[in-house]
Amino acid sequence: MKVIMSLLFFDMAFWFYLATMILYIGYWIIKKEWLGQASTVLAIISTFAIFMMLIFRTKESGHAPFSNLYESMSFFVWIISIAYLVIEFRYKIKVVGAFVMSIAFIAMLATSMLPYRFQDIQPLNPALQSIWFELHVFSAFIGYAGFGLALGMAVMYLIKARFEESKTSHFLIDRLPPSAILDELSYKSVAWGFVFFTMGALILGAVWANKAWGTYWSWDPKETWSLITWFVYAAYLHARVTRGWRGKKAAYVAIFGFLSTVFLYWGVSFVLPGLHTYASQ
Amino acid sequence: MTTSDKDPIHIIIGNKIWGLFGSLKFTLFILFSLAVFSIIGTVIQQNQPPAFYTMEYGKWASLILRLGLEDMYHARWFSTLLVFLIVNIVVCTIDRFPPKWKSTFESKVDVDARFIKNLLNNHTIILNDEPALARERIMNVLRSKRYKIKEANNAGGMSIYAWKGMIGRFGSDVVHVSLLLILAGVIIGSIVGFKDFGAFYEGEVTTIPVSEFQFGIDSSWHGIPLPKIQRYRKASDIQLRLDKFWIDYYETGQTKQYNSILTVSDNGKEVIKGKQIWVNAPLHYKGLTFYQSSYGMAYDKVKQAEFVLKNSKSGKAIAPFFTADWNTPFDIPGTDYRIRIVGFVSDFAFDPATKTIFPKSAEHNNPAINVEIYKAGKLVSRPWLFYNYTDLFAAIPGSDYELVFQRYQGILYTGLSINKDPGTTVVWAGSVLMVVGFFMAFFIFHKKIWINVKRNGNETEVYVGGMINKNKFIFERELSEIAESIKSDISGGVRK
Ligand code: HEM
Repeated sequence: MKVIMSLLFFDMAFWFYLATMILYIGYWIIKKEWLGQASTVLAIISTFAIFMMLIFRTKESGHAPFSNLYESMSFFVWIISIAYLVIEFRYKIKVVGAFVMSIAFIAMLATSMLPYRFQDIQPLNPALQSIWFELHVFSAFIGYAGFGLALGMAVMYLIKARFEESKTSHFLIDRLPPSAILDELSYKSVAWGFVFFTMGALILGAVWANKAWGTYWSWDPKETWSLITWFVYAAYLHARVTRGWRGKKAAYVAIFGFLSTVFLYWGVSFVLPGLHTYASQ
Repeated sequence: MTTSDKDPIHIIIGNKIWGLFGSLKFTLFILFSLAVFSIIGTVIQQNQPPAFYTMEYGKWASLILRLGLEDMYHARWFSTLLVFLIVNIVVCTIDRFPPKWKSTFESKVDVDARFIKNLLNNHTIILNDEPALARERIMNVLRSKRYKIKEANNAGGMSIYAWKGMIGRFGSDVVHVSLLLILAGVIIGSIVGFKDFGAFYEGEVTTIPVSEFQFGIDSSWHGIPLPKIQRYRKASDIQLRLDKFWIDYYETGQTKQYNSILTVSDNGKEVIKGKQIWVNAPLHYKGLTFYQSSYGMAYDKVKQAEFVLKNSKSGKAIAPFFTADWNTPFDIPGTDYRIRIVGFVSDFAFDPATKTIFPKSAEHNNPAINVEIYKAGKLVSRPWLFYNYTDLFAAIPGSDYELVFQRYQGILYTGLSINKDPGTTVVWAGSVLMVVGFFMAFFIFHKKIWINVKRNGNETEVYVGGMINKNKFIFERELSEIAESIKSDISGGVRK
């Protein structure tokens, strides 16, 4: 099958994201207003490019663009970019972009390094031909994006909080938003992520499994790792209301949660066997 | 609950346990433990025979088996943690819900300026208007932002209390209840539900067995009578016939879909006729669900097989190949031999103890066919012929002939999962409730605003302050906007 346009847009998006990341980091370092505006414009262009990639991919394959790692990673990048742009417009803090766009670019880099066979279009195997499968992945990936954002916020929080506590100053750190804002943004990202992750990975995944295999839950490694990830983020939410755990410890839980998410997404497909090995076919 | 030194020991211990189960630190402990045990379950292969663990893990095998790590998710550890989680939620809710309910609904209306100035978010506005006019303006602003409002008059002037999003406070409780509901659904399913699998051949009618249960008493543990659920299987009135099974392929040769056409009869009456199912589209009848789950080639039967009769000396065929149907006598053309296919195994194995032949697996690794050979109507031999080793046992006794098993056409069967789980509905109900709870908890914020209006000489002082349970920065902005509108409306006030 022909996959020319989507590959073209992916390659374009790759370079756009590289440039976006560099501009945001540049803005963080030299804090020139025009650089900040250029960063935002480029972020919008990158988001649009990866969106076009997804559109063409859908047209070329005839199914929703998340049937393998190459497609779903691109979808992840798209969602996290949109979420970031919303935050930038609502909270007016651009320095955060240096971190988030780095995550987006790393995701693009990882995607581009996937073996060639992933770029090819695979016809859907019988189990994947279901609207529940599409909703499942769609919602789960919004969840992943939320967790990705939370990772960026939690890392910034830890750095910033350390400097605030010791009352030391460094021009790069001073430009980060106050730790209280980072903490709140991290929480909000987890909250959005948690809702969509629960709906997508757990609930819709269970509905799909029930349709396809006759059980909503079978402890297959991918399912189990979704549950593990879910436990970790549930712990994050409760750490925030627990004396002695709010703040730094909670931020570490958010980082831990993202490691679990990455393993859920990549590790399980490549390391552990199970129903979801379609991704490593 | 507090404990004093004078309390008897069981009260002290009781309160300690209650305190443990009411603590969020314990919740974190449970959640992390569940995560760790689940990870172990994905690292150690589950539900393998004991020999597997000895081979794979050597001296650790006995420990793994003793701790039940080979069936992690059904092990005592795991169910204990789940029970702890449930108790934790229940105790937490009992402890925290009543005070939360009270503090949510009972809020002071009549507050003074000092109270407001102590709030994290507060603004002071000086207006030139009369208090009554100021009040009107404040009301309009608050109403336009959809706040609910209460007022009180006091010595110095008046107070206004405005709030919204109270329901958001109870989102977490809805989530917790939904979690209990989901677990209840899982438990119902494990008691009442069952799952079965069957291989069905085209044209065949199969009576569906169902699993029933009964409560009993089990005293095997230290003689203590414990409730026990006994399950037994019995034939139901439901019969299933497979009308047709086929596979669709993509142009590239990959499998596109597995399809079966099923007919269900209940008590001898056809209730569902010729319904097509495929992966992701099962058939439902009376709480039973039939899923397309696999397919395969029969391991104990063939449709027909192809043979050649050869002269064993010259190696030349007596006649061209011929095809015999399953269990149907066939006269070999041009000879007085007749054969009949009476058996087949897909993967030949011989049990010397019982001298029986059986299929080692359902794979067609070493197909063998059992035929009866008749000469002039008399049975002369009953050999097993091999597909992979054509000259093995091929010779017909007392003759120069040999029979070669050349090809066969297998019979496709469809693998259907048969499943009944009334708990599923409860699980879905819990899931929906959970999502509702999430939206309440995460996206509806409980906002409280207090405003105090006081006449001071010929100026009116307005104090505005607010509180929110989360989302502080966005609320800060909203409060500034409110202060701004109060100030800027019509006459020019001064904001300090
Ligand atoms: C896997 C199990 C659990 C899940 C999924 C869960 C879910 C949640 C959610 C979504 C929230 C709202 C968080 C927020 O608004 O930021 C919450 C809050 C809370 N949970 Fe849980 N919870 C679980 C177990 C528990 C347990 C065992 C306890 C018992 C101590 C507990 C106590 C609380 C408390 C005290 C709050 C804060 C209450 C409030 O602010 O209204 N949770 N939980």
